[in-house]
Amino acid sequence: MIAALRRAVDGLLGRGESSITVPPFDGALQPNQLLEHAELVAELPDGEDIATDGAQIYVADGAAIRRLDGATLIDVRRFDRMITAFCLLPNGGLAVALEGAEVRVFASIEGADDGKSFTGPSMTAVNALAAGSSGAVLATDGSQAEPYARWAHDLMNRGASGRLLSLDVENGGVNVVASGLRYAFGAIPFDDEVLVSESWRHRIVAIAPSGFVRPVFTDLPVYPSRISKAAGGGYWLTCFTGRTQLVEFVLRENAYRKRMMAEIAPEHWIVPRLRSGKSFKEPMQGAHLKTMGVVKPWAPPRSYGLVIRLSEAGLPQYSVHSRVDGENHGIVAAVEADDNLYVMAKGPGRLLRLPLAKVREELGQ
Amino acid sequence: MQEAIVRFKSRFWPDHLLGEILSKRWTETAIPVIVLLIVGFALSRSIDGFLSPVALADQARQAGEIGFIVLGLSLVVIVGGIDLSVGSMFALCDFCALFCLNILGLPIPIVIIATIACGALLGAVNGLLIGYMRLRAFITTLITLIIYRSAYDLLLVDYSNRIAASFPDFPAWNFIGGGDVLGVPSVAVAYIVVAIFGHLFLTRLRPGWHITAIGGSRRSAYNSGIAVRRTIALCYVASGALTAIGALFFAARLGTVGGDVGIGLEVTVLTAVVLGGISLGGGKGSVAKALVGTLIVLLVTNGLTTLSVRGGFQRMTLAAILLVAAIIDIRWLKNRMRIISKVYVTPAYNFLPPPPPTEIGAGGPFEQNDKLRDVSLIGLGRIEAPEDVILDRHDNLYAGSRHGDIIRFFAPDYEKMEVFAHIGGQPLGMAFDKHDNLYCCIGGMGLYRISPDRKVEKATDETNRSLLSVNDDSRLRLADDLDIAPDGRIFFSEATTRYEMHEWPVEGHEARGNGRIVCYDPNKGTTRTVLRGLKFPNGICVASDGQSILFAETFRCSVSRYWFDGPKAGKVEMVLDNLPGYPDNINLASDGNYWLAIVGMRCPALDLAWRMPGFRNRMAKRLPLDEWLFPNINTGCVVKFNEKGEILESFWDLHGANHPMITSMREHRGHLYLGGIANNRIGRYKLANADPDFVQYDKRWGRA
Repeated sequence: MIAALRRAVDGLLGRGESSITVPPFDGALQPNQLLEHAELVAELPDGEDIATDGAQIYVADGAAIRRLDGATLIDVRRFDRMITAFCLLPNGGLAVALEGAEVRVFASIEGADDGKSFTGPSMTAVNALAAGSSGAVLATDGSQAEPYARWAHDLMNRGASGRLLSLDVENGGVNVVASGLRYAFGAIPFDDEVLVSESWRHRIVAIAPSGFVRPVFTDLPVYPSRISKAAGGGYWLTCFTGRTQLVEFVLRENAYRKRMMAEIAPEHWIVPRLRSGKSFKEPMQGAHLKTMGVVKPWAPPRSYGLVIRLSEAGLPQYSVHSRVDGENHGIVAAVEADDNLYVMAKGPGRLLRLPLAKVREELGQ
Repeated sequence: MQEAIVRFKSRFWPDHLLGEILSKRWTETAIPVIVLLIVGFALSRSIDGFLSPVALADQARQAGEIGFIVLGLSLVVIVGGIDLSVGSMFALCDFCALFCLNILGLPIPIVIIATIACGALLGAVNGLLIGYMRLRAFITTLITLIIYRSAYDLLLVDYSNRIAASFPDFPAWNFIGGGDVLGVPSVAVAYIVVAIFGHLFLTRLRPGWHITAIGGSRRSAYNSGIAVRRTIALCYVASGALTAIGALFFAARLGTVGGDVGIGLEVTVLTAVVLGGISLGGGKGSVAKALVGTLIVLLVTNGLTTLSVRGGFQRMTLAAILLVAAIIDIRWLKNRMRIISKVYVTPAYNFLPPPPPTEIGAGGPFEQNDKLRDVSLIGLGRIEAPEDVILDRHDNLYAGSRHGDIIRFFAPDYEKMEVFAHIGGQPLGMAFDKHDNLYCCIGGMGLYRISPDRKVEKATDETNRSLLSVNDDSRLRLADDLDIAPDGRIFFSEATTRYEMHEWPVEGHEARGNGRIVCYDPNKGTTRTVLRGLKFPNGICVASDGQSILFAETFRCSVSRYWFDGPKAGKVEMVLDNLPGYPDNINLASDGNYWLAIVGMRCPALDLAWRMPGFRNRMAKRLPLDEWLFPNINTGCVVKFNEKGEILESFWDLHGANHPMITSMREHRGHLYLGGIANNRIGRYKLANADPDFVQYDKRWGRA
């Protein structure tokens, strides 16, 4: 009763839960422009995900899995639908998510077979796959309400229907490990648990096989996405867009939010985006005003580029950025191979390469 | 339906007045006055004859005596101190007056002078210790309170019987104690005289300003060269002298030196000071507040006495009132600006229909193109914030800069530049008159005139005050653009009367009609407001008939026409409505049509927000300005239109990398010159099929 009353008062006065705060980029998240200045490997307008077996780099580009061979990309498998995620399995196999609604597991990376299909229970927005322990495949299903491409709708509807799934490749069953997540986007085994990005809550959680959710890294100033293993222990966490106080505010303004969703085209919503600045019909915030021909890099991000290096305990060590005035935004995947970091910037549709020796030198790590 | 209510409320409910009223200094006096009226009303209801002439005269007599002391203490509090010894000083002065009169038998004028001198001397002790020795006011006056009281008690033992034994009977002395002028008690007359002088002293005279300045910030006052120590000391002297005057009237009225004279007086007086709204923190206060505080305290004490409330309870009531007033004083001082900043911004309903298309392939006059991509740049990195540009007949280019200069670039290559004139404020719209004087709107300053020999003169910086506005709107806050009628009258826009120039986004956020168009007549030297309630009026251009002006309203996304002369005088008609962006300056084109700068483009999220004032209101309260939804003025265009309201052509720069923002454009000899207020460059675009000899103001004044 008292709690409900307090919430009502807070809502009226903008205090407590209704106060609008976004943590600053500080400490391990201190901004730099390393990602903005990363080397361009390939322009991939439909690029979605990256995986590596330690030697070769594979990318999901539209409906095809392709292998990076020097400067060119060679198709290894092609599908009839868009790929929303894929991963390599330790036994040399491959798992691919199609349109977020189906996962197929193959025994080999290359080939022409149809593999083993998983569709239930009601897969909607499978957006990340990872090899789990004892032969299982881990999958995050972002939302049960909206397909993968409509993630912004899920955010604006305050979606909370994300799930962590475990696919039993041997027996063909699907186990729902956890549900009710506010957009699950990315998973990786973490001892007995699984590290999962819970995007709309801006945090990384560890989920036990029992389904118990334990926060590991919270209050991010960004929306986290896929996670991959780093070579020296620890993880690479990508963040697909940044938070702004304006979006947090609109999320609390139900009347405006509903009218905006009903009356305005999604690309012009007040909502985080993978890319920005393409049209004057996008909402502009005060700090975005170009003064003397310059946009401030510390302006509130409508889109942002960020990869965070996590320690083995899941805590941040350092990060590479592409700031508001940059281009390499909407980072959805990053993998490490041969002391290089390969990054998929979905905003401009680019595959980028960042020599880690240079990153460590610049950041004094 | 719900939107209709919002629109109705936005139009008729004046919620923007709350912030304006609260920003007025007089609201601080208004609250005690309201309290006084309530107390007076309540007591007159519960006590018969409370407001009868006799009772009022008696009230006035007491009010006068205490009033002098309150005035003295007010001075001390305003200068940042406190005087607790007033009660003891009062007693000593009372003794002094009666001692001089009854025992020494001195003549009345000498008695008066001696008493006031005695009070001043007692105050000087405080002043010396606090002002020059820099002791703490509280502890010092607490000590003098005890010392003076002890002295009084000692003197009382020796002289009280002798004073009580004599009954002096002088008409003058009796007049001081109980006389009146036309029914007004003598003490009240004296108080009124002193109060009027005190008011003039505090508000109009240099020493009064010094006192307020020291109370506001002692260090700043010292740094400004004010004699801080002397002024503080003199305030305590004045407090003593005023206390003595009060004591003089008291002595004349009662003629006694009892043991309880002046006991607890400091609490009464302090309550009056704080209740009146004179801040204990110093730097704020007025005679009116002191008077109101005195009356409240007096009404309460007398009312309680009449209602037969026991003395202990009376004191307790006063103390409780003092406590409450002190708490309100602290909270109010601390939060006033916060409250004002919370309630001042009051967004209004601003409906715009869906804009015409601008997309490539969508057709229509606003279809985007890349004509302006390759404008050549003038003064890149050397000029900052050229809002408007203008050229003279020798092709020299003039533009404002945010350093408060008008910069001149020399023809023909515009490489060489100089400061043509320094004005001190941001130059905005510009125009040449018949005699080649350059008239220029200066943000925050008004309308200025620069003669050909570079002499800068103020043309006007104020207009007639509106009858019903709360904010004083006589001073020009944001003169924006201008044009000159054939008879020399200058019509200029003032974008807002509620905000300063750098606060234009707040004005856009509010989207209420806060702007106006003002006419300055250089022949008569008069300035009059001709149109009110406009949504950020901006560009102005005299139309072809010489009897009307075209003006742009930025946040209504429209261009209208106003007739100042001729058969349609006073009429306003819409020319362009529902533009896809925010119109800025308007200027004449060589073919008789008009150029219009569109400084920014509308975005659907803001169009929707403009229909939801409550949403914007909360945004203004909860988000910092940098996070607000803004009108997008990073991308713009130039369009050509005619008086019929047809868009003839549009010029775009798709990427805005070369010349990001366009606030104005000026056609000159076949080129279009572009200005932008957030730019560090001026653009120059070669027009096809334009008159190669066109010079705008030569054509206007018939020289071409």
